[in-house]
Amino acid sequence: MGKDLSTDAEITWCPGCGNFGILNALKKTVKKLEDKGVKQNHIIISSGIGCHGKIFDYVGLSGLYSIHGRSMATVQGMKLGNPDLKVVAFAGDGDAYGEGIAHMIFAAKRNADITVIVHDNGTYALTTGQFSPTSKKGFKGPSMPEGNVENPLNPLSLLLEAGASFVARGYAGKIDHLSDTLVEAVLHEGFSVVDVLQPSVVFNNTYKLYNEITAIVSKPANSFEDAAKLVKKMDKKLPIGVFYKVKKPVFHKELYGDWNPLRNKIHRKERLNQVKHLLRPK
Amino acid sequence: MKKDVFTYIIGGKAGQGTKKAGIVAANFFADLKREVFQMNDYPSLIRGGHNFSVVSTSTSKIFSQYMKADLVVVLDQRSYDVHKDHVAKNGIMIYNSDKAKGKGIGIAISSESKKYDNSDLIEGVAGIAVLAAYLDVDKKTLDEIIKKEYRHNVEDNIRFAYAIYDQAYEKIKKKVNLKKGKNKKVSISGSEAIGLGAVAAGLDLYFAYPMTPSTPVLHFFASNGKKLGVISVQPENEIAVANMAIGASFTGARSMIGTSGGGFCLMQEAFSLAGMTEAPVLFYLGQRPGPSTGVPTYTEQGELLFSLNPGQGEFPRIVASPGSIEEAFYLTAELLNLVWRFQTPGILLSEKHLGESSMSVDIKPYNTNWAKPSISTSKNYQRYRDTESGVSPLLFPPSNQLIKWNSYEHDEFGTTTEEADLIAKMHVKRVAKLHSMIDYIKKNVKTVNVIGKGFPYIFTFGSTTMSVLEALDYAGIKATVVQPVYLQPFPIWELAKYKNKKVVVVEQNSTGQLEQLLKDKVGINPVLSIRQFNGRPFDPIDLSKKLRKVR
Repeated sequence: MGKDLSTDAEITWCPGCGNFGILNALKKTVKKLEDKGVKQNHIIISSGIGCHGKIFDYVGLSGLYSIHGRSMATVQGMKLGNPDLKVVAFAGDGDAYGEGIAHMIFAAKRNADITVIVHDNGTYALTTGQFSPTSKKGFKGPSMPEGNVENPLNPLSLLLEAGASFVARGYAGKIDHLSDTLVEAVLHEGFSVVDVLQPSVVFNNTYKLYNEITAIVSKPANSFEDAAKLVKKMDKKLPIGVFYKVKKPVFHKELYGDWNPLRNKIHRKERLNQVKHLLRPK
Repeated sequence: MKKDVFTYIIGGKAGQGTKKAGIVAANFFADLKREVFQMNDYPSLIRGGHNFSVVSTSTSKIFSQYMKADLVVVLDQRSYDVHKDHVAKNGIMIYNSDKAKGKGIGIAISSESKKYDNSDLIEGVAGIAVLAAYLDVDKKTLDEIIKKEYRHNVEDNIRFAYAIYDQAYEKIKKKVNLKKGKNKKVSISGSEAIGLGAVAAGLDLYFAYPMTPSTPVLHFFASNGKKLGVISVQPENEIAVANMAIGASFTGARSMIGTSGGGFCLMQEAFSLAGMTEAPVLFYLGQRPGPSTGVPTYTEQGELLFSLNPGQGEFPRIVASPGSIEEAFYLTAELLNLVWRFQTPGILLSEKHLGESSMSVDIKPYNTNWAKPSISTSKNYQRYRDTESGVSPLLFPPSNQLIKWNSYEHDEFGTTTEEADLIAKMHVKRVAKLHSMIDYIKKNVKTVNVIGKGFPYIFTFGSTTMSVLEALDYAGIKATVVQPVYLQPFPIWELAKYKNKKVVVVEQNSTGQLEQLLKDKVGINPVLSIRQFNGRPFDPIDLSKKLRKVR
């Protein structure tokens, strides 16, 4: 593993893929987090399956390369096992908003202290470009050659309703802004989601479009209602940035307070005494 | 001499406290230093229907309920109709004459209970008052029992119990004196035994989505977990359950899952993920009659073959099934150890009959081990280091070395690969792990219980073992019970010697799944199979009649 967080793995993304932007932003994010006191070895990642998932092999961070749609559940288990860790799930739009949408909604609902970074390219790229949950109506792919007949989901609106305490959108073409957004997301205590607009050069090349229409919002909305409007905004300009950020009790602390299942593990002798106590004839 | 067994059945609607009355009766028998076995029968509803609790007690070890009772108490007509054939030859039927007509002794339970608030809930107490009268227990003792067991509305409960007791005492002419036993023992449910066994082996996190009959383990940890150091979590679905547990294992937390057939189906991809990433996770699979939704609150052993090969692909799996509530304690602990030793998913296979029945136990908590994996001390950590045993030492975050668990085929470091040599190499590593696991189990683990002496050899597994043992004990049949505890890897090395013997197989499914395993893996061809698949556990008297025929 190199000092710049790169690995020996051969990168197999298509040249020019938006995923490179996300990988570069991630590396900057880890450095910035270290400056803010978050140790690199405390950042643990997971990813789903799809082009996005390859980031797992390409970045020098520990973690678990999970299965399609489940990285959000994986990292919640990691957080519950050792709440000292900062856990980050990578997911594609198929993972987060299709196969694994229940995990997203419930992670937001319980305010699990995790960060989800969604590589949202609006297509199933690794399986050759089928329509995805965020594909526009009319999007043409091999499973809908006449054009997608479904309307796209607005995931951030959905997650906001579900109780997400941090909602943001980034763009793979604006790396510095994206890495700042990711830093804020990881530092946020609670459920944070960053939907990253990720052009797929082969199946859904949106660079030109997003370069034109994305507009950075400087600060989060003042209220839930304003945030709800902001995440739905899609006229001439598409806002990127942190849309909503509030402090709320987090799941693992609601469950077991400041305890840590590993650090505060009850020793064998004490446990066996407790077992013996429960097994005494009453 | 015939086994001295006393059986008490109380039946009524859900919500009337019949299960509670069963527990109170069992505790009372335990106070007499007798052994108990309690089974609760209930449909999948919350109020109404028909529930009953059956408690059988003996001065010697007892492994089953009996469906011929010395005393039957029924609170309504439906219960009367169900239980009228459950009265033993010298037994008596007491029915609530306000709600039922029939043969036996009628007591106006409802007209008495109407005098109090919450009259439905209180009627279970009548069952205890009748039991006390029948056993010629004095009022002072009854008073103590009610105070100890029914802490809400104690005064009302005592007054009500006294009124029923007086009626019953007068009407029941022939009373019974229960002989005292030798030792006072605690009685616990199979689910409690599973929970406690996991605690003793060092469990940290328990994940489950509610599904009968595995749910009582979730409830056990929810109410006792904090003082035992186990956190229970109820995620959004079984898929989240299994994936969270794997995530928790990644951090070094000992994690366990509880589910039943349908939920376990949803966990297949995660089970395979655990196999590939080499994640130690213990799955508790509590069986109920299937297929599909089946019969949620009843018992069956229809998932034996399903449990042996869950998840896609080739990787080592461990499956074992306890034959008694005591064994459930030790086996849960042992399995938690094994999954951590070999870093692979394991299944504790059981049934509603074990999970939700209670019996007297004598458990030694210290006869367990603390699950400890092999930990890497290398300066150049490789998650999937190719070792002779196939087991790669673990390392947990935070660490300055990279720890990469991977669902894709991977190299030793944990990076995704599609290279032919590496694919083959990792297959070989996992096969090596399977073989070292089998070797270890052969040398260190009791994989088969052989109980008793004589012919024929009765093969059975899981909770049906209890039914078989009780049937033999009841009828005084001398036979050898052979119970494979481990089902995957299947202990062929222990079973080969029964190949040309006279073998009978007893199991609770319709296709003979244990029999199929014995035929396919060992070449054992049974002379008789006894199968029951009506959702109910065997009755020992019925089963003993069937077993007698073999002789």
